[in-house]
Amino acid sequence: MSEARSDPPPGGATAAGPPAADDSRGIELINVTKRYPGQRTPAVDDVTMTIPGGEIVVLLGPSGSGKTTMMRLINRLIEPTSGKIIVAGRDTLGLNPTELRRHIGYVIQNAGLFPHMTVATNVGLVPQMLKWDRDRIAARVDELLELVDMDPATFRGRYPRELSGGQQQRVGVARALAADPPAMLMDEPFGALDPITREHLQDSLLRLQEELGKTIVFVTHDIDEALKLGDRIAILDEGSRIAQYATPKEILLDPADAYVEQFVSGGQMMRLLQVSRVADVPLQSVPEAAPRDDAADVLARIRAGKTGFGIVLDERRRPVRWIHPEDLDGVTGPIGTRGMATATPIRARSTLQQALERLIQIEHDWVPVVGPRDVYQGTVTLGTLQNALREMKDRGRVRRRGTADA
Amino acid sequence: MISPEGTVSFWEYLGSRRERLVFETWQHASMVFQTVLVALVLGVLIGVAVYRSARLSAFATSAAGVFFTVPSLALLGLLITPLGLGVAPSVVALTLYSLLPIVRNTVVGLAGVDRTLVDAARGIGMTRAAILLRIELPLAWPVILTGARVSTQLAMGIGAIAAYVNGPGLGEQIFSGLARLGGANAINMTLAGTLGIVLLALLFDGCFVLIGRLTTPRGIRV
Amino acid sequence: MSAPSPEIRAASRTDAAEPAAALHAPTGRSWRMLLEPVVILVVGAAWMLYVETSDLDSIEERSLKPRYVWQKTWEHIELTLVSTLIVLLIAVPLGIVLSRAWARPATPFVLAVANIGQSAPAIGVVVLLAVLLGIGFWTTIVALVAYGVLPALRNTMVGLQQVDPDLTDAGRGIGMSPARVLGRVELPLAAPVILAGIRTTLVLMVGTASIASFISGGGLGDMITTGVTTQRTPVLLTGCVLIGLLALLIDWLGGVATRLLAPKGL
Repeated sequence: MSEARSDPPPGGATAAGPPAADDSRGIELINVTKRYPGQRTPAVDDVTMTIPGGEIVVLLGPSGSGKTTMMRLINRLIEPTSGKIIVAGRDTLGLNPTELRRHIGYVIQNAGLFPHMTVATNVGLVPQMLKWDRDRIAARVDELLELVDMDPATFRGRYPRELSGGQQQRVGVARALAADPPAMLMDEPFGALDPITREHLQDSLLRLQEELGKTIVFVTHDIDEALKLGDRIAILDEGSRIAQYATPKEILLDPADAYVEQFVSGGQMMRLLQVSRVADVPLQSVPEAAPRDDAADVLARIRAGKTGFGIVLDERRRPVRWIHPEDLDGVTGPIGTRGMATATPIRARSTLQQALERLIQIEHDWVPVVGPRDVYQGTVTLGTLQNALREMKDRGRVRRRGTADA
Repeated sequence: MISPEGTVSFWEYLGSRRERLVFETWQHASMVFQTVLVALVLGVLIGVAVYRSARLSAFATSAAGVFFTVPSLALLGLLITPLGLGVAPSVVALTLYSLLPIVRNTVVGLAGVDRTLVDAARGIGMTRAAILLRIELPLAWPVILTGARVSTQLAMGIGAIAAYVNGPGLGEQIFSGLARLGGANAINMTLAGTLGIVLLALLFDGCFVLIGRLTTPRGIRV
Repeated sequence: MSAPSPEIRAASRTDAAEPAAALHAPTGRSWRMLLEPVVILVVGAAWMLYVETSDLDSIEERSLKPRYVWQKTWEHIELTLVSTLIVLLIAVPLGIVLSRAWARPATPFVLAVANIGQSAPAIGVVVLLAVLLGIGFWTTIVALVAYGVLPALRNTMVGLQQVDPDLTDAGRGIGMSPARVLGRVELPLAAPVILAGIRTTLVLMVGTASIASFISGGGLGDMITTGVTTQRTPVLLTGCVLIGLLALLIDWLGGVATRLLAPKGL
């Protein structure tokens, strides 16, 4: 299917779509070094890195790789020994650290909610420090709780210990978002949760990010979490050496060195399925028809196509039925409701893994793919996915050979 | 026990000395309340000043241990040399003893605050003072209050000995009893002083339970 | 009277809000363990040297004669040790009995009584007993024991109560008799708390013994009362300094004993 029909790219700002990627909201680290007194090697050694506005950038590395140190340098919980850090266009070292932190969201493992304050007080802390008036804070707290899928009436008066771990972390995210900071730092926020809750919160975060488009720095040691959440991943080695800084797909297909390879090795193809979206692969095109189209016309279109059948779309271009030449035997005039109902469509945003699961589960070999508002975008089969994967693999191999030669 | 002539029953004694007993009870309660209050303010200030340094905390705590170990009669005796007899040495001694559990518990309470919470507070842009006032002290408060409760119980008992250096309070009754040992009303006086202090101590302890309930946020109540 | 509050020290071991033994945290390094008594003895000797060589009138001289001072010190030690011994002989077995399963219903009651008794001022207890029994050494001992037995009892009970029930279950589970569970599991595990209780009792008794002089029980308190009644500051101060130092020394000894006697591995 053509590029134009896939989901609008993140930059294509429509009214409802995510805000445009904007460099002025990004974070820049320039030659940043952190050296602790009495330690021979610096914890962070001359790191330069650009975190584009509106993206989730994951710092991935084993403990001791300095990933948390690197993140804490951004809101000056740790002061850099040398170098420069720019957040949303402003040099952090020129700002008052507490003032700076009020404008950068901060989420930590176990949420770090204050146990002696209610959920509402916890969430409203930063606005309160920014001297918002009472009504505005209350309204903001409710808004935020709803944003993280918690009913304000039920939860605003509760204390942290009355919440589950997952709920606490939702409140933690709400607190970080309270003053609508352009950037957010998340330090292994889901690390202490059980796998099911963790998955749930990861999905919530992605949904939230689609809506808010924050610049997020996310620290984790879990490769799967990194691949799932990151628009980009920085894989860190000792001393915060950036072994590779690239999109998940690039990292899977083209690991920069042995260190990165060791990180992603094992189940590489399965992971590729998890990070690639249906929208990214070339879809099969099938002759299209509308219920009021003339049967002879439709038959001609099917004959002209390669698939030997067509798809009927309703007036809002939503897929309804498959139509075969046999269905049209001796039919004149509009095709109407002839044909066989399609399977429930696959969404273009789904990962290849989800698409594959659907294809294996259902009876149909062909499944339509839909984009926003269920508009038809193309059709997918097992063969489509196989081809797409083979191509990705080949591309990766070529690229790797290229870098090896260079 | 043979009652010497002139002895009256305990209840009669209480009735006949009602005014004086009420006054001494009031004095005792007020002395303890005031010294513990002063000690609470000073103790928390000292605790706040030292808790960030392990060395200073250790020093404050072991100094507390030393003072704790020195018997109160000895401390009172040492204090009458510079301060003379009366209210002054009593109040100073009581404050000193009251200070120690409070300092210790303040240090321990503040040190016991989860570091990740302090980190979170810093991370969302709270100032040092705000972290101390809004996060650390409220979280340490139940422990500090326990210290004040211990102090109060201590001060109650030590307050009785203060009468030996002419301090105020119910100890007066006990020492009067001691002075009339074998004489009329010795037992009534001693009993009145002792029981009065026991009752006051229980009353204050009850107040602490109440204060604890009222001042501990629901989220951290045990 | 005395400052150390055994109730709280005992409670601190079970109350999570309070750090275990914060007050008497082991000093740690061995040189400090040895330094403390040396400092105490040096300060004591220096004080005596200073007092003996200063200008004294006849009353002061009589009350500060080394033999007299030593006698008073020894009386004080005697009062402390005898009363502590009796307190432990009563409180520990009683505590063990009261912490048996069949006596558990009585526990809250006993602890409540212990708490109330705790708030009685030492001086009141001492004088009350003198009124009832007359004055002298044994009345003093009875008074000291009466004052010390409740906290020690409470301590023993708390110590035994906090033994992990899983461990006693495990003991029973491998076929130990109740006596064996007590001897091999409960007492060793409760030993640190019970031993700390001994130390606490010692310190409590040193302090309470100093008011024995009010009822002619002897001890260093005599020097304080003499000093006050005759208005002789050197005598008063010597009494105060020596009581303070003796208390610190005995506390140190108690600490050493606690550490030596505690079962290994705890």
